[in-house]
Amino acid sequence: MKNKNNPLSPHIQIYSWHISSLISISNRITGVINIIALTFISIWISSLLLGVTRYEFIENILNSFLGKFIIIGIIWSFSFQILSEIRHLFWDLGYGFELKTSRITGLIVIFGSFILTVLIYLLGRQL
Amino acid sequence: MVQINLPQNSKVEKGTYYKDTTGSKNIRKVNVYRWDPSSGKNPRIDTYEVDMDNCPSKVLDVLNKIKNEIDPSLAYRRSCAHGVCGSCAMNMDGKNGLACTKPHSEIKGDINVYPLPHLKVLKDLIGDLSTLYKQYESVEPWLKTSKTNENKENLQSKEDRKKLNGLYECIMCACCSTSCPSYWWNGDKYLGPAVLLQAYRWIVDSRDEDRKERLKKVADELKLYRCHTIMNCTNACPKGLNPAKAIASIKKMLATS
Repeated sequence: MKNKNNPLSPHIQIYSWHISSLISISNRITGVINIIALTFISIWISSLLLGVTRYEFIENILNSFLGKFIIIGIIWSFSFQILSEIRHLFWDLGYGFELKTSRITGLIVIFGSFILTVLIYLLGRQL
Repeated sequence: MVQINLPQNSKVEKGTYYKDTTGSKNIRKVNVYRWDPSSGKNPRIDTYEVDMDNCPSKVLDVLNKIKNEIDPSLAYRRSCAHGVCGSCAMNMDGKNGLACTKPHSEIKGDINVYPLPHLKVLKDLIGDLSTLYKQYESVEPWLKTSKTNENKENLQSKEDRKKLNGLYECIMCACCSTSCPSYWWNGDKYLGPAVLLQAYRWIVDSRDEDRKERLKKVADELKLYRCHTIMNCTNACPKGLNPAKAIASIKKMLATS
């Protein structure tokens, strides 16, 4: 290319964020978090085979302040991912591409993820 | 590949400050990206104080005023000034658009003007779009038909014609493609929203007889499926078109055919 020494114009540094782009990147990040979380949950369940001391050890960790923070974080991450992927399913069917619609569904994903987090957490405490 | 930081030669530096000389009370600061290929220096941001009392309503008018009255060395593309040619596409206030249709009253605070994002800069606000034009050529944007009757029109039903609405209006200004993060990271392989919208425009044209081939050609992990429905394209389009929907329509056609 003849102008390979020309500068590259600024991109992500200057481009303003939209709801849609924010959700898109969050969708990816929560996806990665969910994979890591699922791996740990699987290891935890497998470790129960080793007896009651293991169970108590992990229960103590999860009951601590940091543990609760992690649990709520994971619940939010799953809630966000589920709602966002439902939005993607509708897109795959060809619906919801109008700017206004996508903005509304985007807001539903954001606020819905928090509401779903609270609901799941409360439901979990009831059990 | 994803590269968040700009290369060393593209880091933007502080430039010259042009103070207002008219004594106007209604002043706005305009920050403009500048790069002079003959200087050998890094790009810079020049700041101009512009007298808004004697300035028409659009961002392009502000640039014209700077070029005519303050600094004639400023380079940018423009032609029709009515949102039809697509020459003056640039990044204003963090969003791509046409300078000739973007009112400066919509921008709060200083007016920041940059070239279209993630392009090789030729000078100041002029970016190199040759890759995009090559990709446009690759989708063969012309009618392919075996009908060669020169005495009769190639007719289309009203319903079929309707399918081209929202596609034929595209002026190839590249606002959408250069707003797309996927196109930033994979612009050499991913076709980008502008070219895919054009590809779809020929795929759905009832008069075109090459639909299958066109679909086959575009069905590629990198060419098409780098679209992750970020929707920056639709947000950016100055003509109010919906490239995200067009791309989804191609994906759907491929999934159902």
